[in-house]
Amino acid sequence: MRWRFPALLAGAFVFLFPFYYMLIGSLQAEPDPSVGGAFPAPGNLTGENYAEIDAAINLGRTLLNSGVFTGGVILGTMVFGVLAGYALARLRFRGRGLVFSLMLLIQVIPFQLLTIPLYVLVVRSYGLADSYLGMIVPFAINSTAVFVFRQYFLQLPGELFDAARIDGASELSILWRVAIPLVRPALLTGVLLTFIGPWNEFLWPFLITKNQELQPLAVALSNYLTTVSARAANPFGAVLAGACVLAAPAVGLFVVFQRQFISQGLESGLKG
Amino acid sequence: MRRTIATAALAVMLTAAAGCGGAAPGPDAQARGEITVWYSNNLEEVAWGKQMVAAWNAEHADQKISAQEIPTGKSSEEVIGAAITAGNAPCLIFNTSPASISQFQKQGGLVPLDTFSDGTSYLEGRSGDVAEQYKSSDGKYYQLPWKSNPVMIFYNKKAFAKAGIDPTNPPLRTDDEFLATVRKVVAAKGAQYAILPAPSNEFYQSWFDFYPLFAAETGGSQLVADGKAQFAGDAGRKVAQFWRTLYAENLAGKERYTGDAFADGKAAMAIVGPWAISVYKGKVDWGVVPVPTSSGRPANQIHTFSDAKNVAMYSACKNRGTAWDVLKFATSKEQDGKFLQLTGQMPLRKDVASAYPDYFAKNPDYKTFADQAARTVEVPNVQDSITIWQTFRDAYSKSVIFGRQDPGTALEEAARRVDQLASES
Amino acid sequence: MTVTSNPVIRETPRQGISGRRTWFGRVIGEQPIGGALVAPYVVFLLAVFAYPLGFAVYISFHDYFFAAPGAIVERPFVAFDNYVAVLSDAAVRRAFGNVLVFLLINGPLTVVLSLVLANALNAAIRWRTFFRVSYYVPYVTASVAVVGVWLFLFNSDGLVNAVLGPVAPDPSWLVNSKLAMPTVAIYVTWKQLGFFILLYLAALQNVSRDLYEAAAMDGAGRFQSFWNVTVPGVRPATTLVVLLATVTGANLFTEPYLLTGGGGPDGASASPVLIMYQRGIEQGNPDVGAAIGILLVIGVLILALIERRFVGRED
Repeated sequence: MRWRFPALLAGAFVFLFPFYYMLIGSLQAEPDPSVGGAFPAPGNLTGENYAEIDAAINLGRTLLNSGVFTGGVILGTMVFGVLAGYALARLRFRGRGLVFSLMLLIQVIPFQLLTIPLYVLVVRSYGLADSYLGMIVPFAINSTAVFVFRQYFLQLPGELFDAARIDGASELSILWRVAIPLVRPALLTGVLLTFIGPWNEFLWPFLITKNQELQPLAVALSNYLTTVSARAANPFGAVLAGACVLAAPAVGLFVVFQRQFISQGLESGLKG
Repeated sequence: MRRTIATAALAVMLTAAAGCGGAAPGPDAQARGEITVWYSNNLEEVAWGKQMVAAWNAEHADQKISAQEIPTGKSSEEVIGAAITAGNAPCLIFNTSPASISQFQKQGGLVPLDTFSDGTSYLEGRSGDVAEQYKSSDGKYYQLPWKSNPVMIFYNKKAFAKAGIDPTNPPLRTDDEFLATVRKVVAAKGAQYAILPAPSNEFYQSWFDFYPLFAAETGGSQLVADGKAQFAGDAGRKVAQFWRTLYAENLAGKERYTGDAFADGKAAMAIVGPWAISVYKGKVDWGVVPVPTSSGRPANQIHTFSDAKNVAMYSACKNRGTAWDVLKFATSKEQDGKFLQLTGQMPLRKDVASAYPDYFAKNPDYKTFADQAARTVEVPNVQDSITIWQTFRDAYSKSVIFGRQDPGTALEEAARRVDQLASES
Repeated sequence: MTVTSNPVIRETPRQGISGRRTWFGRVIGEQPIGGALVAPYVVFLLAVFAYPLGFAVYISFHDYFFAAPGAIVERPFVAFDNYVAVLSDAAVRRAFGNVLVFLLINGPLTVVLSLVLANALNAAIRWRTFFRVSYYVPYVTASVAVVGVWLFLFNSDGLVNAVLGPVAPDPSWLVNSKLAMPTVAIYVTWKQLGFFILLYLAALQNVSRDLYEAAAMDGAGRFQSFWNVTVPGVRPATTLVVLLATVTGANLFTEPYLLTGGGGPDGASASPVLIMYQRGIEQGNPDVGAAIGILLVIGVLILALIERRFVGRED
């Protein structure tokens, strides 16, 4: 117990240091690859790397695109993914084993194997080139999240469901009133883990649309990085600044949401 | 009866399919109308592309170009490959790597430029003898040689001066002189490394270490010629041994460096093309020399790697007549001049140095590269080009960079596999 | 509705009350509404993945390459030729070996560290928000940036070697053929840990406080209650973590692509997906790439089944 706080602190240092370094590096006018470069030097600090990004990228537009892309994926996953996860965990129906195997299979397949056939399918068969929908489609329901949901629904005590069913509640209302409130932390986990994929994805949205009006932030940043990497005053700083810009909303979202992880059970547990 | 109809229908479909495929010169070689082009997304080339498109569109209201940017580098082949397969590639891509041409051609993704009545004459008239290297194995041109970045050795004058070496005329002509010089530079702490070409494993990295020196040593031979690997011979061994010495003595770094090692003063030299001049401006006081050879050939006999990017027309293009006109417009003497001015890269036209005397008088730095541009070697235009390069790179990395095998043996083994690959196609 | 109101927390995956055993019930299952709930997901899987996946299997049995629509090309059936080519390729075999090394390091490390850390982060400690955010940060940060930082840290003259001084490995971490893969494995563990901590944090919310109290009354120490209450309490989550760690680990691509410059040094950190990418997309041999991919999928499925046997047992 006494060791926990210092140990966590040391761990946090290990996890935060690269991020800290990224922040410092993004503020440097000249790259400093020496050990001293890990500390802020007053003469070497500048906002220039950020100003350059701001000048090169329409941040508002690309953030909006990222929002639509990511939001679409989260919406799809939270609605249809939760339904599927619940059914797979708690309901007996024909084909359940098959669906579960299919889900596992999709998890296992490396995306690089499917990229080009998937692209041909989405562009030619579905005609979704240059659209938000085309960006969203392959990610629309995150199978990892479905898997996560299923696992947490499985963890709930069966008696609860039996009791509700005996009371004559419909499956949907059991899901809505009994199951979902109990797995709220898992749902948040689902949002957070679903968020990262489309947020950081750049190859797929770029394949789908070369129209800059529709490109999300990750695509714009990675385009920016390939062009400036050799030319900016501090190319490494530019890369790091780009990464900070991309990471900031994700970290912000987490800071806002992580409070929800504190369940009341544990709050009261503390007093005991 | 029914069967005949079916057969006829099939025949019609196949003919139609052949019509829009890459191989056949369809009737649409004359078709005109709106087209799409892609160009590279680096700032200078975007500036050039925008003015080119604007200039064309101002005079051709009925045949407008719309332009989009695609990134240079790693993902561009993937992007183009996917677009070919899906049939939504643009008409022209001003960023096509010669190493990918054979693959795109095999996919039926390219329009042979010989389809146009003045295709061959225009292309050969513009580029001269260099054009020959860009002909495909079936004797057709699937790419227009557009611009090159002949690579040479940049050196840091300050680092050289620190080691007591004459910075205006450093001894770097023969392999031995080169080694002696860089040993001094590193010993005097002019820089941590003599040179730091990316030591990583991507197939194209050999274009910036082994290949330029190989081109110089052989007097202009390609990696593969007449279906045979050329690199395991005497010249190839010498070049490999030269690099092995640099790596073994830690004069060249085995680790990737994030950022530009030369600009940051980490390495005293770099092998780069003229695009880098603007990058190094104000950061490094540099000089430039041709790559070394074992016998110390004079500068005007040195060949090097071209690092060219070309323009290709893609088979998804409907209005090929317009596309061809745009291609000629964009590579006209006037547009090439603008390209040179905006990017500092060398248009692949013959006698580039004498074609733009004013520019080179004002920018003497670039003159050296224009002279070098007359003697460049391209990657061989053969099937499985990228597989061949990856095979070579793997052997090179293992033996030359990491010293886990004798370079001679490794090159021979790789040559056997490359011969096999080259003969299969 | 709080978690504490559940007196019994066990793994009880008994599926509801038993329905009437009519033939109809047997055909559609006891709760056919499940089929309706899962339908959109199934439609999604079929519409998006069935074709590309079937296609991948198809091309792995042909001498195949992607061609422009309408182009007339010959792509004959070649049975298992691609698989034979792949299996007799030393680089591919090495890549599979590499990824196994990766999994052996990454898997256990991930499970142990994420559970221990989640447990610690779940308790009432000072700066809890700060800690949670810290451990989460690497997970959300784009690889390009993090890789830059790691290169800086693990370079020959990077911070880590500077701290280690004389015991620093030579050649350095990422260019040392013995250490490259372990370094990549540790990097990935570090990068992904936040995600797995999240999974465990969510699972911990459902472990009843009563069980801890009961254990405490039996005189269990901190470690014992962790071992006897927490570990069994989050077992379904552990199954999940083990499976997901295996799956994401087996699909290792970005790290050898970016961190070790294409699987360097000399192929020591090449992964099957990297080789698949090189052969299939860069070199234009999607048939060979697909064969590698299919073999990988089969391998991972076998691994997953073995793991479920040992860790899982949830239904």
